[in-house]
Amino acid sequence: MRSITSLLAGVAAFACLAASAAGAGADALKTVQDRGKLLCGVSQGIAGFSIKDDKGQWSGFDVDFCRALAAAIFNDPSKVEFTPLSATERFEALKDKKIDVLSRNSTWTMGREGDSSVVFAGVTYYDGQGFMTPKARNRTSALELDGAKVCVQKGTTSEPNVKDFFEANHVNYEIVQGETVADIVANYLSGKCDVLTTDASQLFALRSQFPKPGEHAILPDVISKEPLGPVVRQDDMQWFNLVKWLNYALLNAEEMGVSSKTIDEAMKSQKPAVKRLVGAEGDFGKPLGLSNAWAANAIRAEGNYGEIYERNVGVQTKLGIPRGLNELWDNGGIQYAPPIR
Amino acid sequence: MNVRKVMLARAAAAAIAVAAAFLPGAIATAQKIDMNVVDQPGYVPTPEENQLNGAYERQEVFFRTAEPPGTIIIDSKNRFLYLVQPNNRAVRYGIGVGRDGFQWQGVEKISRKQEWPDWRPPPEMIERQPYLPRFMAGGPGNPMGPRAMYLGKTVYRIHGTNQPQTIGHAVSSGCFRLVDDDIIDLYGRVAVGTKVIIKQAVEL
Repeated sequence: MRSITSLLAGVAAFACLAASAAGAGADALKTVQDRGKLLCGVSQGIAGFSIKDDKGQWSGFDVDFCRALAAAIFNDPSKVEFTPLSATERFEALKDKKIDVLSRNSTWTMGREGDSSVVFAGVTYYDGQGFMTPKARNRTSALELDGAKVCVQKGTTSEPNVKDFFEANHVNYEIVQGETVADIVANYLSGKCDVLTTDASQLFALRSQFPKPGEHAILPDVISKEPLGPVVRQDDMQWFNLVKWLNYALLNAEEMGVSSKTIDEAMKSQKPAVKRLVGAEGDFGKPLGLSNAWAANAIRAEGNYGEIYERNVGVQTKLGIPRGLNELWDNGGIQYAPPIR
Repeated sequence: MNVRKVMLARAAAAAIAVAAAFLPGAIATAQKIDMNVVDQPGYVPTPEENQLNGAYERQEVFFRTAEPPGTIIIDSKNRFLYLVQPNNRAVRYGIGVGRDGFQWQGVEKISRKQEWPDWRPPPEMIERQPYLPRFMAGGPGNPMGPRAMYLGKTVYRIHGTNQPQTIGHAVSSGCFRLVDDDIIDLYGRVAVGTKVIIKQAVEL
C-alpha cells in the first residue's frame, strides 16, 4: 500500500482512507494469534456470568463466550486469560488494549459508543429490570402490585424506571430506599418491603443465595431494556466481525439443532445452512482470518448458545433463570441471528 | 394431510452413543427411560408423584408469538406445552411426548373434548404390546387420565397420565401427556376448535 501511495498521490489518499475505514488491518487477531492467547475482560464476580472458584478457575456465561472465541481462533478453549474489571475501569481497559474483548454484562447504550472508541458486537443476553415478591403473595404480574412497598437501590436507574412504570400503569406504590444491594436485600428479607426490584439477572443471582429461594417469585415483567453483550475497540472491523459472528454462529447453531453433542453428525449434514455453519461449504472463515471450521470448533468446545445458557444460568442451575427473552425468536423469545450465507 | 411423521432415529442413536461414551450402562438406562416404559393400566399415582417440580411445573412464562391468545403450541424437543396468553405470556406445562419413531409435527384443531375418556389402544399399539387390554373404561388408573382432547382426525390426543414420572420424556405412541392437575387445568381453559401447533426438533 505504501509503495503505491508514493507513486500515485491521488489514489493514495483514497487508499489510506479505505485502509483506516477497514481498521488497522487484522491487527487485533494477529496480536492475539502471536501472543498465543486471548485476553478477556470479565466482571469481578457475578454468579452464573463470570466468577472465579477456589482453584482460580473461571466459569460463567460471559466466560464461556470468551472460551468459545478462543476455540474459534486456536481450536483450543483454554487459550484465554481472564481479567476481572470493575464497572468504572472496564471500558478504559479495552481502550488501553489491556484486553482484546470485554465480556462483562455491560449494557449496550448509545452513550457508550458515543466517543467512537468502543463498539458492542451484539447482544448475548437480554436483561431488564424485574420484580421479586414473596410467593405467598400469589402475584403473577407487576400490574398486580398495587399498594406495594418496593425496595430499590438509591442512585441507580432502577428507581426512576420503577416510578415511570408504576405511574404509567396507575399502580400505587411506596419506595423503600437502600444504599447498597446488601441493604435492599436485608430490607426485603426482614419485611420492610414486599417487592425487590433491580435487573432480573441480579434478582435471580440474589435469590439463589436466600435462605429459602423457593419462597420467592420473580415476575415475568421486564420494565427496562438492558441488552448485554461483548465489546471491542472500534478500530478493527475484522475483529469486530469475528466477535459478532461468533455470537450469531452460536445462536444459529441452536436454531439448526447443532450442539456439542451433534457437531460430528452436523459435519456430515446435507443441509446447505448446516454445511455453511460448520464450514463444509463456502469460505466463511476466510474473511474473519480463520479456518472455515471456526464455528464448528467453538460449538464443539463450548456448545451452542442454548447449551452455554443452560449450563451457566438456566433453570437447572442455582440461578434458575428461564430463557424468557433469551429464548430463540421462533420459540417465544427475541434472540434472532442473521444467517450465515 | 397436514401431519408429517418425523423420524429421528439417527439423532437418538447419536445421543445414546454419546451417553454411552461417558457412562457405561447408559444405553440400558436410556432405553428404559425413553423407549421401554410400558403402560400400567390400573395404576393410580400418589399425589406426591403427581406433583411436578422445577421447569415442568405448570407456570406462567414470558412468551412472544404471532399466534393469538388461546393457541396451544407444543414444543416437543423441550417437552413443553404452551397455552398462549395476552401480553407476551403463556401458561407452560411439562409434557411427555412421542418416543423415537412416533414423533410428528403439524397444525391441528381440537376436534373433541372428553372427560374420563375410555382407553382403546389402537391396533398398532396392541401389535407392539399384545398384553394390553382391548378396552378400559374411563376412571382413575386409566392411562388416558381424567381428560382428553382429540387432535383433528388423527389418532393423537392431549391427555392425562397415570405415569407422572414420564413427564419430560419421549415415551408415548405420539400422544402428548400431562399430569392430572395440568390436563384438568388445560381442559378448562380451551374449547373445541382451538388451534394446536406441534413442533419438533429440527433435523440436521
